[in-house]
Amino acid sequence: MNLWQNYVRPKNLSEAMNAFATAPRPLIPIAGGTDLLLDLEQGRHSPVQTLIDVTSVAEMTALEVRGDELYIGASVPVNRIVLNPLAVHHVQALTEACNLIAGPQVRNVATLGGNVAHALPAADGTIALLALNAQAEVADITGTRRVPFKELFVGPGKSSLKHGEELLVGFHLPLSKNGQASCFKRIMRPQGVALPIINLAIWLERTNDVISQIRIAVGPGGPTPWSGTEAEKALIGKTLNNETFEIALDALLAQVGFRSSARRASADYRRHIVSGLFKDVLETAWSRAV
Amino acid sequence: MNNQISLTVNGIQHTLEAKPNETLSGLLRERLRLTGTKIGCEEAECGACTILVDGEPVVSCIYPAERADGKSITTIEGLAQRVHKEMKLHPLQEAFVEHGAVQCGFCIPGQIMTAYALLQRNPDPDSADIRFALKDTLCRCAGYPSIENAIIAAAQSLRTGEPVQKPSHIPDSIHDHKTVGHSHLRPEAVEKVIGTAIYTDDLVFDGMLYAKARRAMIPHGFLKKLDISKAKEIPGVVAVLTAEDIPAERNHGLVIFDWPVMVGIGERVRYVGDALAIVAAETQEIAEQASALIEAEFDLQPVITNAVQALQEGVPQIHEKGNLLKHIKVRKGDMEKGFAEADVILEHTFHTPATDHAFIEPECSIGVPLSNGRMEIYVGSQIPYQDRTQVARVMGWPEERIRVVGQLMGGGFGGKEDVMGQIHVAMLANVTQRPVKLLFDRHESLLVHPKRHATQIRIKMGAKKDGCLVAMETELYGDTGAYASLGEKVMTRATTHSAGPYDIPNVRADCYAMYTNNPPAGAFRGFGVTQSAFAVESMMDKLAETLGIEPVELRRMNALRVGSITNTGQVLKESVGLTECINKVDAEMRKHNPLPFQPVVVPSPHPLSRRERGAGVRGTWCAPGALPPPTRTQVSAAAPPTSLARTWNSTKTARSRCGVPPLNSVRDWSPSCA
Repeated sequence: MNLWQNYVRPKNLSEAMNAFATAPRPLIPIAGGTDLLLDLEQGRHSPVQTLIDVTSVAEMTALEVRGDELYIGASVPVNRIVLNPLAVHHVQALTEACNLIAGPQVRNVATLGGNVAHALPAADGTIALLALNAQAEVADITGTRRVPFKELFVGPGKSSLKHGEELLVGFHLPLSKNGQASCFKRIMRPQGVALPIINLAIWLERTNDVISQIRIAVGPGGPTPWSGTEAEKALIGKTLNNETFEIALDALLAQVGFRSSARRASADYRRHIVSGLFKDVLETAWSRAV
Repeated sequence: MNNQISLTVNGIQHTLEAKPNETLSGLLRERLRLTGTKIGCEEAECGACTILVDGEPVVSCIYPAERADGKSITTIEGLAQRVHKEMKLHPLQEAFVEHGAVQCGFCIPGQIMTAYALLQRNPDPDSADIRFALKDTLCRCAGYPSIENAIIAAAQSLRTGEPVQKPSHIPDSIHDHKTVGHSHLRPEAVEKVIGTAIYTDDLVFDGMLYAKARRAMIPHGFLKKLDISKAKEIPGVVAVLTAEDIPAERNHGLVIFDWPVMVGIGERVRYVGDALAIVAAETQEIAEQASALIEAEFDLQPVITNAVQALQEGVPQIHEKGNLLKHIKVRKGDMEKGFAEADVILEHTFHTPATDHAFIEPECSIGVPLSNGRMEIYVGSQIPYQDRTQVARVMGWPEERIRVVGQLMGGGFGGKEDVMGQIHVAMLANVTQRPVKLLFDRHESLLVHPKRHATQIRIKMGAKKDGCLVAMETELYGDTGAYASLGEKVMTRATTHSAGPYDIPNVRADCYAMYTNNPPAGAFRGFGVTQSAFAVESMMDKLAETLGIEPVELRRMNALRVGSITNTGQVLKESVGLTECINKVDAEMRKHNPLPFQPVVVPSPHPLSRRERGAGVRGTWCAPGALPPPTRTQVSAAAPPTSLARTWNSTKTARSRCGVPPLNSVRDWSPSCA
């Protein structure tokens, strides 16, 4: 299998951008490679000449508080995120999501950068980042800039990042304050190598026993990572009880675009089971926000 | 860009020139010749290739070798210590051997390395911790309980410094035998846990070529054109053979010789895995490249997708003798009379899908021509003598000219009985006069090798009010796929066992083993009885529920005993242990729970889910044979929003659900003498 001819391992962003500019094309950045290499091997991705291994790029491997934000580099292996106390405290939904990706060995190399760049609408890390209001940092030869998370996605498997020019560097997430909490859960088949049938992440803020802010992300809810904005509107200013839940659920079902997947589940089945998942995640986030 | 890779492997420094496309597993296995790390899937799914990079378990089959620069790698070969002249095993290795966790051995290096990493960070893991950490290290030999026990024993030994505790649950034998009643260690278990056990792909020979088959990838059609010219032009390609190059017999097979070695121009392609050409080249990459450049044109034909369709009037016949491989019949007594005597008659049709053996070791054969004109074939095969016969037939040689050197097999389960690469490597080795290796990748293995037969089984069962069976009629369709393989024998077994191990005066069974354009079906543990037992035992549960008779009692009442006449007319004169077996199992089962078939609602914190648990039981036999232990079936039903509650929440449905196993969960608990 001809997967690559050249392999470059830049140590920092400047070297990485230099590689983008000078290495034989076509080129693509690789982090864990657990999806990318299979796509190359099995013909789902067009062949490349150069792989730019970004796992050693200093700006992309940091995980730290910066001011009032938590910064997670795009090359941090997801297992590190799961175990990191800062992450557990501030972005619990993300750690819960990361802990469900693939299996233990893959989690030692898989990254959020790869997860987001692959742009699949039910990617666990992606759904959690969406609910947590992440902002992406993107680099090109002119420098780096912030990109609102949603703008990274064009369609299933289609990232808005300019191929061979732009690189996902990391994610900025708001630190968690009192009264705020998040939760991520999945419905999946229990055995072996399981992909999500549905996943759902909620971040909310609870003030005086009422939801003052809320973000709901569902995957796959559409061609790109999906926000349940109608359900969010239905819950703002409300307390959580059976009534308000039912109204929010109706709003969610009215807006979400489930589709039937040959391998995972039918749209009908997803409509049936999302109610249980939604209630579960909402109740958990609500009780955590006390 | 010629980078260098500087890495430490098992404490030893290595500096190598980087190669394009090289994975870490490739570097370890091929360049450093550390073949203990195995390749199962090349998709980061099975965990067989797990090694440690800087102490963390990663799958090496998709880890680019260049990324390992500057890192410290530990493989299975690095765990045991050489103390003076002896190998001192790591407690994990020792525990795996002592606890019987090593069977075919192919998944073992991955299991041990992952367990090693677990114990480094958690010296006292419980069962849940072990299962979480080893979630993606798969074993197909059903080794999980022993693997878990081994890890717990090793953990204890590492914590306390005491020797690994041997398993304590070995049943006593009634008499003091030399062999029975004692634990015996598998002879090659130590090699398997230290990574020196050799499987076919671990072998290399001087001047060895690599082969690849170009497969049809269409289910049914006639080959019109085949162009191998582009393939032959690629530098490094040494031979490209087609059906024209077959020396003698064109077909192989285990019972019926209906399986072409390669499909020639004008001939019929019967499934996606049919070989059109075979390539031998200097490297695997070149062979694959060349194979992809072989162009084929087909006259596509309508596809037969299942056994029932295959028997219909007017459908294409994919073999000269038609689609019917065999019509198997069992006749006993008088069906009309039998059903007339019945107080209750039940009828149902069951379906079982094809299943793949999914042995962790993909198929591999190596053909080595000897200077004296003989040919050696190295292969992990379940039936090496048959391989020799089949290769000899195709080559047109006397059998003595071929020597099959059987290798360790990384799992077979029936799936390594048919010829896969043996004939192809013999042909290529003979033409090139160089050793030739043919290794399947996982996709090829899944496409090509014979599966467990998919079946449709209709059962009509008549019984008296008191539970006595009076008549049983079964009609089976078996999908034997494109070629017979062992389909005749498998479906015969399925048919003769389709009425269960029961004494029934009137029995009629008809089975149609059909050719279709699916991959061939052949031997797979259970050998036909897996399917028919599922059907008949499900019916027995249904009957028990209908008559209000206890499921075990229903089996006991109808069990074959000394003096019974089986459905095939055999008079059982002695040694019928079924009733004794049922009684023993029943007693054991009720020790833990006096009402095993009563579903118990498990309280759930979740208002929208309902869980019940109960037991299931099956009778099975192997002319005549044993009753496997009852299984726990857990039924979990998430109720949808209230408007549909009616169809889900009826207790009756839930109760019958516990008695009758779900139709789509066929457990593979085959009788041991299949």
